[in-house]
Amino acid sequence: MAVSDTSTKLHYESLDPDVRLMLQVRDDNAAAFEELVLRYQGRLLTVLEHIVGRRASAEDLAQEVFLRVYRARKSYTPGAKFSTWLFTIANNVARNALRTMSRRKEVNLERGENGPTPNATMENLALESSGLMPTRRLDKAEMAEVVRQAMDSLNERQRTATVLSKFEGMSYEEIAATMDLSVQAVKSLLSRARCNLRQTLEPYLNEGARPNRSNGERTFEEE
Amino acid sequence: MPDPQQTLLDDEKVREELVAYLDGELPPEENLRIERRLAEDGLYRQTLQELERAWDLLDALPRTQPDENFTRTTVEMVVTSAAEDVENLKFQALRRRRLAMMAAAAAIVAAALVGFSAVYWETTAPNRQLVRDLPVIENMEYYRHAEDLEFLRRLNQEALFEEDVNHASP
Repeated sequence: MAVSDTSTKLHYESLDPDVRLMLQVRDDNAAAFEELVLRYQGRLLTVLEHIVGRRASAEDLAQEVFLRVYRARKSYTPGAKFSTWLFTIANNVARNALRTMSRRKEVNLERGENGPTPNATMENLALESSGLMPTRRLDKAEMAEVVRQAMDSLNERQRTATVLSKFEGMSYEEIAATMDLSVQAVKSLLSRARCNLRQTLEPYLNEGARPNRSNGERTFEEE
Repeated sequence: MPDPQQTLLDDEKVREELVAYLDGELPPEENLRIERRLAEDGLYRQTLQELERAWDLLDALPRTQPDENFTRTTVEMVVTSAAEDVENLKFQALRRRRLAMMAAAAAIVAAALVGFSAVYWETTAPNRQLVRDLPVIENMEYYRHAEDLEFLRRLNQEALFEEDVNHASP
């Protein structure tokens, strides 16, 4: 068993330069830590922003992730690619944050202080994307907004798996390790996520549909 | 009218195999099977294409770029936190040392108490023996008249003078 652990450690150490950097961080090399922050901050922010939906929260969470990495440095042993380890921490931090946000939202709802929900539901999106509504061609920013709304329509786990697959190019096995799920569960999650996205984005698949904001309502028109 | 592609995708097996095929997660023999069906089945092929196009639309999502201060503030935050950790460790070490000193002092006091008790016990031992022997000492004169201890025991067993003894007892 010890031989196996050692060989795994050596395997990742030789394969992954970021593992080697992290081992330097373990030896209190501050420059190595800064280098890791530089290498991963953009990727981490992208993933976290798409999971939690807010830039400011994503920045706070990314800093929390780096802080946890630093605090865990002394006990770090390479058992996977560095990115898998980092995004496992990120996934845990994001899940905790979403749970807290959800609790706060519940409290606000109880107090009747909650404003309009920014995220579109599947039903709203389906209504907006109804073929009966007029449509016109989407520009890039508008398309990004439509896709973001489609992403918001996924549940938390589907969204996380989708983001890790799309933006990090992770394999099912890596996503499973990151999210502490079985490979089969990831396969199922991603298939449902993709199916939901196809359904939500169906009106835009041939390019040329966009939400038409009139009277605060979104409609679609053909160019 | 039901969406025929959605109906196809409602089949979990079909949905999972198409997505796994697109993600390159199938073994070669499964890939071949999917490709044969794609060549033969128009609806199957169209469904795969829509899944792929919907996935490609995600490329429209922006990649978040950290602002120029993000690295600096992150490293500073970690350094500050690390300094706090060091302070905490120092505080804990100091607390542990104080506790150890208090424990040592308590042990010394306890040892002194035990030592004092032992010495006191030892030095007062002859007195305790005298107190235990006091009834014998007080009646020494009578015991001397009897001369034979066995005789006294037998006298006691026969209870000839029990009434006198009971009367004499306090």
